[in-house]
Amino acid sequence: MTNSSLLGVEGEPGRFKASVLLKPRYIDPAKCTGCGECAKHCPISMPDTYNEGLARRKAIYVQYAQAVPLVYRIDTEACIGCGLCERVCLAKAVTYADAPREISLDVGSVILAPGYEVFNPVELFDYSYGRHPNVVTSLQFERILSASGPYRGHLLRPSDRGHPKKIAFLQCVGSRDEREHAGYCSSVCCMYAIKEAMIAKEHSADPLDCAVFYMDIRAHGKDFDKYFLRAQEKAGVRFVRSKVFKVEPKNGTGELSVKYLDASGAPAGEDFDMVVLSHGFRASKQAVDLANRLRIPVNEYGFVQPGTLRPVDTARGGIFACGAFSGPKDIPESVTEASAAAADAARLLAPARGTMITKVEYPPERDVRAEALRIGVFVCHCGINIANTVDVTAVREYAKTLPGVAFTEQNLYTCSQDAQRHIKEMIIEHSLNRVIVASCSPRTHEPIFRETVRQAGLNPYLFEMANIRDQCSWVHQTQPKLATKKAKRLVRMAVAKASMLESLAGASVGVTASALVVGGGIAGMTAALNLVEQGFPVFLIEKEAELGGNARLLSRTHDGADVREFLVGLIDRVKNHPKITVITQATVVEVAGFRGNFKVGYMVVPRKDILRLECGAVVVASGASELKPAEYLYGQHPRVITQLDLEQRLPEPGGELPGAPLDVPALETMKSVVMIQCVGSRQQGRMYCSRVCCTQAIKNALRLKELNPAMDIYVLYRDIRTYGFAELLYRRARAQGITFLRYDETQKPVVEAVGDGLLVKTFDHVLGEPLHIKTDAVVLAAAIVAPEESNLDLSHALHVPLNEDHFFLEAHVKLRPVDAATDGVYICGMAHSPKTVDESIKQANAAASRAATLLSKTQIQLDPVISEVIDANCDGCAYCVDPCPYKAITLVEYMQAGSVKKTVEIDDSKCQGCGTCQATCPKKGVVVKHFKLDQLSAMVLAALAEE
Amino acid sequence: MTEESAFEPLIIAFCCNWCSYAGADLAGTARIQYPANVVIVRVMCSGMVHSNMIIEALTKGADGVLVAG
Amino acid sequence: MNGNADKSKMPIGSVLVVGGGITGIQSSLDLADGGYLVYLLDELPSIGGIMAQLDKTFPTNDCAM
Repeated sequence: MTNSSLLGVEGEPGRFKASVLLKPRYIDPAKCTGCGECAKHCPISMPDTYNEGLARRKAIYVQYAQAVPLVYRIDTEACIGCGLCERVCLAKAVTYADAPREISLDVGSVILAPGYEVFNPVELFDYSYGRHPNVVTSLQFERILSASGPYRGHLLRPSDRGHPKKIAFLQCVGSRDEREHAGYCSSVCCMYAIKEAMIAKEHSADPLDCAVFYMDIRAHGKDFDKYFLRAQEKAGVRFVRSKVFKVEPKNGTGELSVKYLDASGAPAGEDFDMVVLSHGFRASKQAVDLANRLRIPVNEYGFVQPGTLRPVDTARGGIFACGAFSGPKDIPESVTEASAAAADAARLLAPARGTMITKVEYPPERDVRAEALRIGVFVCHCGINIANTVDVTAVREYAKTLPGVAFTEQNLYTCSQDAQRHIKEMIIEHSLNRVIVASCSPRTHEPIFRETVRQAGLNPYLFEMANIRDQCSWVHQTQPKLATKKAKRLVRMAVAKASMLESLAGASVGVTASALVVGGGIAGMTAALNLVEQGFPVFLIEKEAELGGNARLLSRTHDGADVREFLVGLIDRVKNHPKITVITQATVVEVAGFRGNFKVGYMVVPRKDILRLECGAVVVASGASELKPAEYLYGQHPRVITQLDLEQRLPEPGGELPGAPLDVPALETMKSVVMIQCVGSRQQGRMYCSRVCCTQAIKNALRLKELNPAMDIYVLYRDIRTYGFAELLYRRARAQGITFLRYDETQKPVVEAVGDGLLVKTFDHVLGEPLHIKTDAVVLAAAIVAPEESNLDLSHALHVPLNEDHFFLEAHVKLRPVDAATDGVYICGMAHSPKTVDESIKQANAAASRAATLLSKTQIQLDPVISEVIDANCDGCAYCVDPCPYKAITLVEYMQAGSVKKTVEIDDSKCQGCGTCQATCPKKGVVVKHFKLDQLSAMVLAALAEE
Repeated sequence: MTEESAFEPLIIAFCCNWCSYAGADLAGTARIQYPANVVIVRVMCSGMVHSNMIIEALTKGADGVLVAG
Repeated sequence: MNGNADKSKMPIGSVLVVGGGITGIQSSLDLADGGYLVYLLDELPSIGGIMAQLDKTFPTNDCAM
């Protein structure tokens, strides 16, 4: 339901009534084919919001060429009602009489993901945005870089379409700025600015200078620091620590002068051809209105801000919030939260799983093997999209002459409902056993037509398409004769392939509806509980004797939630759930099988034998731990401790000191504490940010200030990375007089013992001179490190790779952040990378959600387009075994007529049908079904034949 | 340029469904014009194109073969 | 548990997802794959959200589309 608004939700969790307003589109989506003829004739030209106003569009439009659904809409605010579009639309899809409609939906749960807006920097007068064309926002710059953008991917500056030589990127535009009512950090701008700078340099034919003006670089995500380093060292992007106060146009040149204060606070300036403003997140008005309509409170900035321990909840049960609606975040975090919200909804509705969906019934499949070829060819006009360039009638007449063709027809729109009904009738009436549609791209339409032939009793793989629109009529518009000739060629190729098509069916395998969770920390236990409450039994394997992991060392989250209490509750629920089997002091030693059917071997201390279990999915939540530092006198001086050491000694507000050993003076009597950040992180051999330490240090510093307001606290840092709303904590810390001093990696602080106390020597960049601080204690923000040895073992057992820092690698860093490359294996918590408690909870629920999509199926259908061994041809040379990227091929031997026959075997559950084996085989011993060498060869020969 | 000139090479392009074939579709959506003497054979991965396929195409009359993926 | 399951207390096996950006799409896919009926709603005429405006995503510089 696009073009719609949610008006309100009433009822209770599990049983809501939602009222939805369907806004008029003035186009019938069932009829519109997205051909674009209407927009060609529309006389109205207006700024294109998709291209951020850098290009123009018509009043009848689609947002962009790849839009889903590809259905036009009339912008009635701009439309003058001339009626041209209605007249030119052959599909009769224009419906001026369209009116808004309200509908009511019965739903068990609601997930809110309305997204965000970007800050409009026109309010910042000093940056010249909106007054000088060469000052653009980062989103506009994305469009400039894009091949589908206003300059077709050429890097041009807007004022004169010249090639820029120097571009400045200004960070924190409308972020970390209370004057613009945004005290928070937008979290993603540092990384996208680095990306844009690198891509701009790649796009530019001439040498391009890119400079990023920043306060702190916040590369706190997984492997982000490596990317930051690449930008500096390989791509040569300049990073200027500064505060920009003005962007001034230089008269007549198109150039802009950037005025700033440098790291020492001295004024400086530099000229650029273009300035890109890294504008931050804003709560969108639409989202705030939505929250108000649903009676869901938002924070002072308009974002929903759930508690850290229930990170996707809203104030209303059964209604969940995710994505940028609950604060600035990047793509993988949004995707993770999306799955986490789905997990919570699925848990709530578990008893009703499958009750609202119906299974499609198909007629029995016809066996066509013994039948003579009877090919049906349907040639599409696609309105005028094909017919204006290609002589459709000629193509159809030609198709009639091709061998095996029994029936031909031409349709105005082959994909329309009535045309498909007609195709089904023709298949039955003319006993067709192969079907070809010559129209658009199989990438978009093959599934639709496969469904059609299936409904007519044919195997869906007896269908073939000829792409005579996207790859013919649209790209040869000025050459109708040649386009017609090519269309005939494409149809001839399709007929050649269709003649050789075979019915295919993927194997169907059962699913063991239980999961194994490796690791009993917060992440593992959260995943286990969600899965079990969704109805799937869980085995939980923990290598320690106790559940709880790192959370046992934490007291409170930065928003004050009690971690200890939460943990006790969690352990209790896990231990007492009848369908969770907790196995402590155990390690996984081997894993066989595949998604839906894993056979796991594990060992329990002190036994020496391997025990076994079976499960359908594996969730890796094996955690990480705090590094024991080897510098700054840690372990040598009792007053040098880590943040976790400190955290365990912090009393509850108003409560008593916990009984930790007091090898430092009582906390409330200390006069001074120095905190050192990035101890073991962001350095050679461990080039990553441990993400949690900045916020953790500031949280603990504020707690110390609470205990003793007179205490002097210094935080020695490299970049403060309090992303999102944690920035507010940083602001509070500075307001309370906590001193933040930056140090360079090349000039680390030095800690010396002086009497009972300590002396910290560092360098003050603002004063430009060395600084010595006498202190009672030094607290180190030690890196979070992955357990190298045990992760390597688990990685081998599961065939899931680790990154170079020994954290588990996800299948896709943006779009599949909790899926492992091995199907059926999911990753969450610190096994994936350092993260906070709330982030671990979200990721754990996300992993549970992904696992549930697999476990909820009784059978999984494997794709039939995979490799197949022709045993008679295979001589067991094994050339194909190593190149297989999915490790799906094994060499086997068996006895045949008294001698050993070598051959290979394909694991159907692993094979993805890439065909690398087919290409390496010298004997045609292994082929990809539906893309066999003979089938491809027939197409090639048909392509080379003449009419 | 006349539509049917003297010699026009015929080029067979093997395109991967997920990238170059998709790119060719996008060229259509953007109405980027190119000569009509290239025909695309869709494969699910350019990795499945056997070297013999390329040789066969060339020996049976193709003037050029493009494998894109 | 009551042997006569009270029908009026049985939850409804469908979910309304508001927002057709990358977040809403992922929630919808998970739930639909898990056996729930999903209504995906967006204010704009097509789904995709802001990610559809991006050129490429780091670190692989994959196309965002």
